[in-house]
Amino acid sequence: MNNMNEKPNYKEAFDELQVIVSEIEGGAISVDELSKKVKRAALLIKVCKSKLTATEEDVNNILKELESTEGL
Amino acid sequence: MPEKENDRTIFTLLEVTKSIQKTLSERYKSSFWVKAEMNKLNLYPSSGHCYPDLVEKKDGKVIAEIMANIWRDDYQRINNNFLNILKEPLKSGINILFCAKINYTPENGLRLRIIDIDPSYSLGNLEKEKQETINRLKQEGIFSANRILQLPLLPKRIAIISVQTSKGYSDFMQIIETNPWGYKLFLMLFPALLQGDRAAETIMNQLIKIRKVIGHFDAVAIIRGGGGDVGLTCYNNYELSKAIAMFPIPVITGIGHSTNETVSEMIAFKNAITPTELADFLLQKFHNYSVPVQKAQETIIDKTKRFLKDENLRLFNSVRYFKSITGNLLIKSHNEIHNKYRSLLQLSAYFIQKNREYQVTLMSGLKRNTQLQLSNRHQQVKQTGLIFRKDVITYLHRSKAVVDQSVSQIRRGARFAFVGFAQHIDQTKIKLFDKGLNLIRNEKREIEVIEKNIALMSPENVLRRGYSITTINGKVLQKVEGVSIGDELITIISDGEVTSVVNNIKKNE
Repeated sequence: MNNMNEKPNYKEAFDELQVIVSEIEGGAISVDELSKKVKRAALLIKVCKSKLTATEEDVNNILKELESTEGL
Repeated sequence: MPEKENDRTIFTLLEVTKSIQKTLSERYKSSFWVKAEMNKLNLYPSSGHCYPDLVEKKDGKVIAEIMANIWRDDYQRINNNFLNILKEPLKSGINILFCAKINYTPENGLRLRIIDIDPSYSLGNLEKEKQETINRLKQEGIFSANRILQLPLLPKRIAIISVQTSKGYSDFMQIIETNPWGYKLFLMLFPALLQGDRAAETIMNQLIKIRKVIGHFDAVAIIRGGGGDVGLTCYNNYELSKAIAMFPIPVITGIGHSTNETVSEMIAFKNAITPTELADFLLQKFHNYSVPVQKAQETIIDKTKRFLKDENLRLFNSVRYFKSITGNLLIKSHNEIHNKYRSLLQLSAYFIQKNREYQVTLMSGLKRNTQLQLSNRHQQVKQTGLIFRKDVITYLHRSKAVVDQSVSQIRRGARFAFVGFAQHIDQTKIKLFDKGLNLIRNEKREIEVIEKNIALMSPENVLRRGYSITTINGKVLQKVEGVSIGDELITIISDGEVTSVVNNIKKNE
């Protein structure tokens, strides 16, 4: 919510999404605002969903790291 | 029998040991119960016999020690009892209450032969140890250390301490990897023994290893399964429990048994009874994240649709209202314009009519004026014409007189010139006649001279002067050629002819 342009991490995205949902459910929102919020929500949903299905670690990297610490 | 030598009775070793055997067997006829710590079990798998090393300690120091043995059949019976009651096999390092006989043989020396071991005594002891571990952790204030950590919203990266070939591990992996929602977790195995004497040590080693790459993981899962309920006392181990409690990220356990919770499980962030349940626990975390996201998406779509529909309806109503108002306005304006148009039409017709009348008046005035002007002009022209005509006639009369005068002058002049001319011709005629006469006389004289000359030149005159002409065959002879001896020649002279024959021919050189 601090910076609308910043790509949030998955937890921030999750929280922000909940805020947008409650705002939209509240109904006190103009068409222009709604359009902005929906666009933002689409981005947040994408961030959230990709987090669920993305892989971000590599076993080989971790093994390399372990090897390098073992020498110490 | 002992030998006798110099008052000394000398025994063989066998005699002595046999004596000891005899004495001991007479003295210790029945079996008795003893409590001790079994320092080492010393099971010989090939024979199935055990040779335990029993000790009693006081303040950490060994104050009594004895070797024992458990024959194969006894061992099997005792071990089964242990497995039933303690969920642990008979193993080194536990306190036991056992029934034994003192056994002495010359070959092996003194041994306590263990016939039976009471498992409930050991169980109590294990429970006591477990309780001690719990108390210690609590005293040190670390009992809940791992449980108060925060598990990330999505525990995606899990370091697994397990055995690759175990059923628990494969169950866990299968559930995670084939989850129908497509959730992706990063799972990395750190292999360790999960039961028995060496379990605590290998698990702790792996925890140390994971700690080195802790940044890559959200949680550690200790997974065991398929091993029944035995060999779990390691999880009550104080050192292992402490290592788990103090681990900087949540440790979750799925050790898979039906007995009481071990200390490790108690202090773990989350204890699932089985690896399957542990996998479900993780997937549930994903659900907890995914479902609200999905719901948020649906809610937003639904609400937005409804919102847009409402807005559309409002817009539609506004448009309708606007239309009806503007329609009325248009009709009103239209009527006004129409009225104005009509009055404008009438006005302009009136003006046009007036204009036309004015034009007609103007035209007739103009016509009258023009006619008047034209007739004036005509009159003027007519007058001018008359004056002009008179002038012309006068002029013509005057010209005729001039011309007549000129003609008579010319006529007089011509007559005078003609007379002069005729006189001149007559004079010329006389001069020409005289000249012609002289000319003819001169010519006549010249011709007479020429006639004289010509007469002198005629052949007759020439012949008369002595010349002759010779002919041959009627032709004048001029050259020797063509003349032959015997030819007849005729020579003409002035008064006749002489015929001769050629008898000699001579050509001039």
